[in-house]
Parts: sequence; structure tokens; C-alpha cells
Amino acid sequence: MITAYVRLEVRRTLRDAGFVISTIGVPVMMYLLFTNLGDGDDGAYKKAAMVGMAAYGALGAALSLGTGVAEDKSTGWLRQLRITPMTPRQVVTGRALTGSVVVLPAITGVLVAGGLANGVRMAAWQWGAVAVTLWLGSLPFTLLGLGNGYRLTAQTTGVVNVACNLGLAVVGGLWFPVVLFPDWLRTVSELTPTNRFAELGVAVTEGTAPGAATLVVLLGWAALFGTYAAVSYRRSARTV
Amino acid sequence: MTKDLRNEPAIAFRAATRTFGTAVRAVDGIDLTVRRGETVALLGRNGAGKSTAIALLLGLDEPDSGRVELFGGTPDRAVAAGRVGAMLQEGRPVPRVTVHELVAFVARTYPAPMPVAEALALAGLGELAGRRVDELSGGQTQRVRFAVALVGNPELIVLDEPTAALDVEARQEFWHSMRGYARRGNTVLFSTHYLEEADAYADRIVVLDSGRILAAGTSEELKRAAGGNLVSFDLAGGPTEWLGLLPGVTSYEVRGDRARLRTGDSDGTVRALAERDAVRRLEVTPVSLDDAFLALTQSPLTTLETVR
Repeated sequence: MITAYVRLEVRRTLRDAGFVISTIGVPVMMYLLFTNLGDGDDGAYKKAAMVGMAAYGALGAALSLGTGVAEDKSTGWLRQLRITPMTPRQVVTGRALTGSVVVLPAITGVLVAGGLANGVRMAAWQWGAVAVTLWLGSLPFTLLGLGNGYRLTAQTTGVVNVACNLGLAVVGGLWFPVVLFPDWLRTVSELTPTNRFAELGVAVTEGTAPGAATLVVLLGWAALFGTYAAVSYRRSARTV
Repeated sequence: MTKDLRNEPAIAFRAATRTFGTAVRAVDGIDLTVRRGETVALLGRNGAGKSTAIALLLGLDEPDSGRVELFGGTPDRAVAAGRVGAMLQEGRPVPRVTVHELVAFVARTYPAPMPVAEALALAGLGELAGRRVDELSGGQTQRVRFAVALVGNPELIVLDEPTAALDVEARQEFWHSMRGYARRGNTVLFSTHYLEEADAYADRIVVLDSGRILAAGTSEELKRAAGGNLVSFDLAGGPTEWLGLLPGVTSYEVRGDRARLRTGDSDGTVRALAERDAVRRLEVTPVSLDDAFLALTQSPLTTLETVR
């Protein structure tokens, strides 16, 4: 039942041209632009930026899922789902799984651009590991997007998601390396889920295991956003 | 204590109330039982509380007081068991899915659905299966909603103003399929503000106004309850104050020069009129369902004056 639901929602998401362009096209373009503006041929930067942008793409895709949820609320689709035998838990789980499916193209898009256009070289297992860690690491953002979608109207969800997206991306150092930040901002940055999210990927590209602190921070955010999504859904259930 | 669940009614409202804000009693103490296999119409104007009653019965909303039961249990349980299908009124079509994808998905969520092709055929969607739902016309969208309600093969089907966007022909086709579905022993509850639909397709009509049930019964019973006959005649400029005092008259209405008296005793009324020589173009007709509905729902201060 859930798989049927996930299949339907994934189809619906990937048919949304706006979604595909903004979550796959934009990170790939930004990556190629940022890494090829300077005339230097800094392989390390290209690799780090690749992971950062793949993370950014995943973040955007995960969050914009919330926009889809808010849209479903306004069209009455969520209401129709509630009178099918699917339980609310199955609906939310299905939506979260959809999120994890649709972040994949964003991640692979940037990785492919890094490997083919920018000549980033890594061991085969590292490519796989980067993709998988970024994929799993995007869960907190999927939950944040879902929470926004269930709680807010379609329009506010869009605005809030963009704010979350830009704020978390910039402060977390997905656009510019954290080393350029002043000390205080670097401290803040290390507490953001986005920073730790990118660090997951960086650790893998460097062939090391991610630190315990990174996992703790990410799991903490996942728990927080998960609760937010659950509470928001329960609240919306009354009004949906 | 064991209950034989097979004998429980399909729908039971027990003193159910739902208030919005502090003032609006959308549903104000409804008591209603719908037996299995019955087709019941909820009839009322816009804002009468039909949609709120339906939301309560589908478990989309909960009553502030009282209870709503489906098949002897909570609405949530009946919905989760796949015994209920519904066609909701509001909302736009689901974006970016085809008719077949949507209906097939809904079928998958039910334990014992009918074949998707059968549901599409019943709803008259056979040729539109591959089309995207958000590219269909209003009437076609309505048929998609019908297919979605039907495909799970539920015992109870709930339709909130199902024919609102349909033209006359589509409306007849719709009711044809609906009847077919009801004839299989299924229970149907639909809301409408079309009297003819309630009259033609429901076994029983429940008249709802301001969140209360004003009357319930077959259309014959409703007509009788509203005062059996209408006596009308030309006033020819005569006075009107005495009309309400005539024997049998329950209410009257003056339109232009014509007086229309609703009466429970048409013989007595006509005799009294004859005594006063007020029989110009006199006519005695049975009350139509329209009149019955108006008599039941209209407040005395509007065009209709109620005596007693």
C-alpha cells in the first residue's frame, strides 16, 4: 500500500518541471559556475564544492517536498487520502519515503557534473559512499519540509522553505567554505544540520569515517524535525 | 456483551453537534439512522450543515458532543477497514496524475476493490483513462471523483453534492450508475440541493436546515407533513388578513393578486372560500416537494406566513 503511494507521489513530483529544474538544474549550474569562475585548477576545491553542492541540491529537494504537501492540502488531496483505508502514519511515512527518493536525482546530478565536467577523481566505493551518505543524511531536511508543509499554507510554505533553504545553506557553509567565516559564525555553523550534513560527504571523500559529533548533531536535528513533522500533521488533521 | 455487528445500521448520528467558533452551530443535535442498503438524500440549501454532517460521518471532523457511528464502530475504524468510499465536494483535481494511475492507486489501498477497468466504465471514464486528471473538464473531474469513491467496492458510499458540476445528460448517466451500485445492496448517502434528485433517487429524504433535521421520510411523507394541498385563487384586490383564519389553512402566501393557501383540509377551506364568494380561478393541487421543502425550511418572517 505504501509502495503504491510512494510510486504515485514520486511520479507526481518528477512530473513537476519547476521541481526538476530548481532541485537538479540549479545546483548543477551553480556548481559548474562557482568552480569554473576562477582560472586556477584546484582539484581539492572542486571536490569539496561538489559535495557541498550535492548536499545543497539534496537540501532543496527535501525541503520543496513540503511545498508539494502544502499544495496537496489546498487541492483536497490530503483530505481524499484520509478517507482511503491508508492510516495517517502510512501517509506520512509514504511522503517521507517519497522525499528520500526524489533527493537522489539532485545528488547524482551534481556528482555526475563533478566527475564528467570537472574531472573529480575518487575511488569507486567513495562515489557510492558519498551518494549514500548524502542520501541518508538528507532525512532531517525531508522531515523539516514535511513539517512546514503540514503546518503552513501553500504560499507560506514556499516562502519558509526558501528561507530555511538559503539560511541553512549559507550558514552551514554549503555555498562558501566555512574557513572564510569569522570565528563566531564558524561556531554557529558547526551546530547547523547542513554543515554536519556536508561534513558527512567530505569525510567520505577524504576516506575517513564521519566524527561522532557529526552523527550526534544530525541525529539530534532529525529527532527534532521528526517531532515537528508529526506534531504538524496531527494539527493539520483537524483542518485538512 | 456481544453485539452482532451485521445488524448495526450503516450510519448512526446520536445527538451529534459541531460548533465553529462561538456562534455557528453547523450541526446542531442530529439524530439519524441509515439502515444498510438504503439510499438517503440529505437535502438542504447552502450552509444548512450538509457538508459538516458528511465530514463528521467520514471521521474528517469530530462532533463536539454526541456520537457518530458507522457499522456500529467509529468512522475511523470503518474507513480503515475499507468499508467506506466518498466523493468530496471541494478541492481541485490532483495535479500531475493520469486518471488510471489515480484510480488504480486508490484501488490498491482497499482490501477488496473492484477491477479498475470496471470502476472506470461505471463512471464513464473508459476513454479518458490515460488523460491527466488536471486537464479534464469539470464534469469529467466529477466522474473521476466518482470512480475514486467507487473503486474500493465499499459497502457505504457518501457523495457530497455529486452532480454539482454536471450537465443534464451527465447527471442522468451518473444516477444510472449510482442506482446500479445501490442495487448491489450497498448503502448510499448523498447530499444535494436539487429537490428532483432527492425525489427521484432516494428511498428517504432528510431535510436539513441550520444544522437541524427538520423532517425525514419518503417524498410522499414530506409532502403530507407540509400540509397536504395547495388552494389558490385570485384575490381581485380583496383583503388578505382573513386568509390565515380559514379552516385547515396552515400557511398562506400572496403573489401579485393570487393567494396560495396551504391546507390540511382542502374541502373545508374551499367551502369557506365559497361562502365568501372568493372562488375566482380556484385551483386545488397537491403540494409539490418544492413547496414542502419551502414550507419546512422557510422562516415565518420571509415570504411565507405561518399560522399556528
